[in-house]
Amino acid sequence: MIEAGNISVTIGGKRIVSHVDFAARPGEVSAVVGPNGSGKTTLLKALTGELSYTGTVTINGRDLSAMKPVEAATLRAVLPQATALSFPFTVREIVRLGLIGGRSGVLPGEDARLPERALARVDLDGFAGRFYQELSGGEQQRVQLARVLCQVWAPVLEGRPRYLFLDEPVSSLDVKHQLIIMNIARDFARRGGGVVAILHDLNLTAMYADRIFVLSGGQLAAAGSPTEVLNDELIEKVFDCRLKVGALPEGSMPFVLPQSAA
Amino acid sequence: MAEQSIADVGRVMTADGDRSARARFVIALLCLAMTLSVFLSLTSGASDASALRVIRDWLTGAVPVDTALAARDQLIVYDIRMPRVLLGVLIGAALAVSGAVMQGLFRNPLADPGLIGVSAGSSLGAVAIIVLGTTWLAPFTLAFGTLALPLAAFFGGLAVTLLLYAIATRQGRTSVATMLLAGIAVSALAMALTGVLIFMADDRQLRDLTFWQLGSLAGATWPKIGTVGPVVILALAAMPFLSRGLNALALGEATAGHLGIPVQRLKYIAIVGVSAAVGASVAVSGGIGFIGIVVPHVLRLAIGPDNRYLLPASALLGASLLLIADAVARTVVAPAELPIGIVTAIAGAPFFLWILLRKRGVIDL
Repeated sequence: MIEAGNISVTIGGKRIVSHVDFAARPGEVSAVVGPNGSGKTTLLKALTGELSYTGTVTINGRDLSAMKPVEAATLRAVLPQATALSFPFTVREIVRLGLIGGRSGVLPGEDARLPERALARVDLDGFAGRFYQELSGGEQQRVQLARVLCQVWAPVLEGRPRYLFLDEPVSSLDVKHQLIIMNIARDFARRGGGVVAILHDLNLTAMYADRIFVLSGGQLAAAGSPTEVLNDELIEKVFDCRLKVGALPEGSMPFVLPQSAA
Repeated sequence: MAEQSIADVGRVMTADGDRSARARFVIALLCLAMTLSVFLSLTSGASDASALRVIRDWLTGAVPVDTALAARDQLIVYDIRMPRVLLGVLIGAALAVSGAVMQGLFRNPLADPGLIGVSAGSSLGAVAIIVLGTTWLAPFTLAFGTLALPLAAFFGGLAVTLLLYAIATRQGRTSVATMLLAGIAVSALAMALTGVLIFMADDRQLRDLTFWQLGSLAGATWPKIGTVGPVVILALAAMPFLSRGLNALALGEATAGHLGIPVQRLKYIAIVGVSAAVGASVAVSGGIGFIGIVVPHVLRLAIGPDNRYLLPASALLGASLLLIADAVARTVVAPAELPIGIVTAIAGAPFFLWILLRKRGVIDL
């Protein structure tokens, strides 16, 4: 369980996140949604210890601020929005970096093959020998996800659940790979791990999230299951946009929902 | 431009993206190259002393026929060439590894102790001791004796590195642009202060000072190696422990932390290690440029940026290149000798420009 109580983050004199309570249970996908600038990424950075915060964050009951980097690395992996490199690493070398500090949880001899397995998971079979910098944005994002998966390959290690923090994991992906990546997240949760994902697509969120946390102006506007949270009033209040949940477009206007994926 | 440089690197790629076997092979070749360079350095020079004969006599225990000539040869090989070769190995390795570590730390292939002012800071420290060692800084020289000069060079380099890091880092993020620009400013300031000291210097001190500005391995003695060797060896010995952390740092400081790397500690060790290695090198050999930037760059093209292989390979290639440059410096205008800084700059500056031209528009300065 990731538990955060009364989290506030102030950057440059401006309060970005204000008194947010948050809890992500193992076995569940917890989504954080909200408009641009609502403090989603800042909250995630507080939960992962990247930014200093007031309040408390615990992972499986242990205080995050008292953990060494390597202890936290065995309990959770973090996918940032975008990662730029200054040196010509190959894809395999990047994915292998996931094995540096954490513990994948596979047998010691199997670690060497893990980068290839992780790349196959994110549909990048055969990309190991390519240069990271020559890949497209969406491919780079999946390479980073493969690296993150290597770090916590086993969702449960020695009886303790582990966690994935994903900051907009599908933001630059085509629809097929959006579904692949969200299925990886759901699978990780089904096998006992926990997932915290920042998402923008409300349809994908409704489809995959077990719990949704809605941020607005740095504060928690709502939290609950998709059916509890996603309603016309909340969307209008938070996103400042008059939308109807469940309404179909008129006439012959085509629309495509991820839920229709076979 | 990006496609071009990637295509260049692509020629030395392996299909599965695992370059560790290639890296180990290159390191083995570099061991051979360094052995050859050491041999070349020991056997070449202004005198006709035969290192081979000295080594053979030493190995077989044979009594030389011409004892006077043998004694002279022994003196040249043991007391002049050997310390010089050892110093060249230590300094070449120190400069190349320091360059590689700084480039990893700043995540920029153009970072170099000479470029961003660490060497200028070390020079200022060393020059201050030469000029003021008997007057204003007398207590310091009295307290540390022969160590005063290397220590001053070390603290000069350390001060510049820490200053740059403090200026360029905001909320745990280091701005490379700020770092490079601040490095230019700090370098200029250190050089101006060095200029003031030169203005104050007397004739004897001026001669000593000229040596700093050009860089040379001449004047290598066993006592000097005794002073500098331990510092450089300690700093070099610490570097392999940084390699995994520096690899993770390529993904950014935050991600390195998420991967379990104690980033702040890594930065401190890297900064102190680089300052120590560069400071000690500058203290005995003056400013020798371009080894720190050329060697890691060439090796990245050959074996990739994995610091587990890049750091030892840099040490080997840096040592080999400096020995070869020194052999050139000693023989090309024999019996006089060129300052080695001139040799490395003549070979290194055009190469550096070539890197800049190839990377133009790709690297975000």
